[in-house]
Amino acid sequence: MVKITLFIVLLSSFLNASSFEENCLSCHGNDFKFNMMMKKYTQKYSSEKRIKEAIFNYLKEPTVEKSVLPYEYINRFGPKEKTTLDDKTLREMIDIYYDKFNIQSKIY
Amino acid sequence: MYKSEKQTIFYVLALYLSSTLLLITTLFTGYYFYKQEELIHTEKEILKQYSLTLEETLLSVHENSDEKYEYPRFKNFKSAIYDIDKNLIFSTLDTKIENLDKDFFVKDSNAYYVSSLKPYYLGAAYSVVEKKKKPINILNDLIISAMIVITITIITSFFLVKLVLKPLRDNLRLLDNFIKETTHELNTPITTILANIETLDAKSCDEKSMRKLQRIKTASTTISNLYQDLVYLLLNHQISSQNEELNLSEILNQRVHYFSQMANVKKLNLNVDIKEDVYFNADRQKIERLIDNILSNAIKYTNKFTTIKVVLTQHTLSISDEGKGMSQDEISTIFQRYRRFDKTQGGFGIGYSIIKSIIDEYGIKIDIESEIQKGTKVTLSW
Repeated sequence: MVKITLFIVLLSSFLNASSFEENCLSCHGNDFKFNMMMKKYTQKYSSEKRIKEAIFNYLKEPTVEKSVLPYEYINRFGPKEKTTLDDKTLREMIDIYYDKFNIQSKIY
Repeated sequence: MYKSEKQTIFYVLALYLSSTLLLITTLFTGYYFYKQEELIHTEKEILKQYSLTLEETLLSVHENSDEKYEYPRFKNFKSAIYDIDKNLIFSTLDTKIENLDKDFFVKDSNAYYVSSLKPYYLGAAYSVVEKKKKPINILNDLIISAMIVITITIITSFFLVKLVLKPLRDNLRLLDNFIKETTHELNTPITTILANIETLDAKSCDEKSMRKLQRIKTASTTISNLYQDLVYLLLNHQISSQNEELNLSEILNQRVHYFSQMANVKKLNLNVDIKEDVYFNADRQKIERLIDNILSNAIKYTNKFTTIKVVLTQHTLSISDEGKGMSQDEISTIFQRYRRFDKTQGGFGIGYSIIKSIIDEYGIKIDIESEIQKGTKVTLSW
């Protein structure tokens, strides 16, 4: 039973990792500062629910106002393009992103 | 010091002290709450400072860390942070905080301060800081101060009352001195008059002169009685009682006989029912004063042509008249010295004061039944 559970967990994390790589890292690459982005979102939206909602809203309809990046930066490079992912996949990716990079779990 | 004076001092002291106590309690309670408020204010200010320190440190941790975030810990206080939806992010507190709506509160001897933060460093929208509450140690000081104030109040009020009562005391002393001197001057002439009347031969006088002589005798008896009362009153505290087994029946008969002349003048019928050989252990002079005063009062205040009833049993003596009687108010103040209800009759109003002191000394119970215009019955029981 324990082996089966362990297997399911490992498989699910592998699948998660692979889908995150496929849907996110394929464009952003490994150099993307996910930590820094999470700090910006946390500083602005505080709770898990609000952070996830803000990321979702931005990725669905990116605007300068919704961006958490400094104004000078976003003004120069402009907001990113709309996501091509469907809502369900997008939310799953945001969940994975939050689980991997949220600040709360890193406080000790 | 007179009893009434003691009573006045007691009442004034009680009134003065209770009002002072009330004032002190009000002031000290107010002061206690003021100190408590002041302490809360101070605690709040300290906690606010702690809260600012925490906020600054959160900023520093948020900005400078990347992979791991070390939550700030302090010696002076503990803390916790909550996100915008009031979910706990991290805490070093020992207790769980339920309510973040109040900015300051006290729980289990700890003081807490809640503050809102923005931007949300480490996601913290609310911070809670906790420190040990400082106890208020002014209660003991307040009790000591109150005791000092009360002691001073008792001393000052005692002197104040004595000062206020001084004119009254002086007047009473003056009255006593006056009576003392008057009494002294009365002694010789009264003794002379009474002794000479007794030696007069009744047969040598005609009827008219005899009546005049009887009136002189009655008047002299009255004065003599008054004299005895005054002497008793003045020397009361200076002589010790010479107690002996007295034949009360014999003494009562003698006293009734002594006053019979006085009763004859008012045409009174003396109805005497004295049980033989009733004994009582007391001072003869005092018992005579007791009987004389009750009997002379009955004769003095009864109406003409009425009956005075004297009844002695083994344990009671009752003397009743058919005079004007007294109200309940008058009865309640009858034992006060110089109290006189009927100013038309002679006397100083000291009779019942003497009666009271004697019955108190021998544990005799007195019962006064009186009805206006019907009469008074005084019953002594032992």
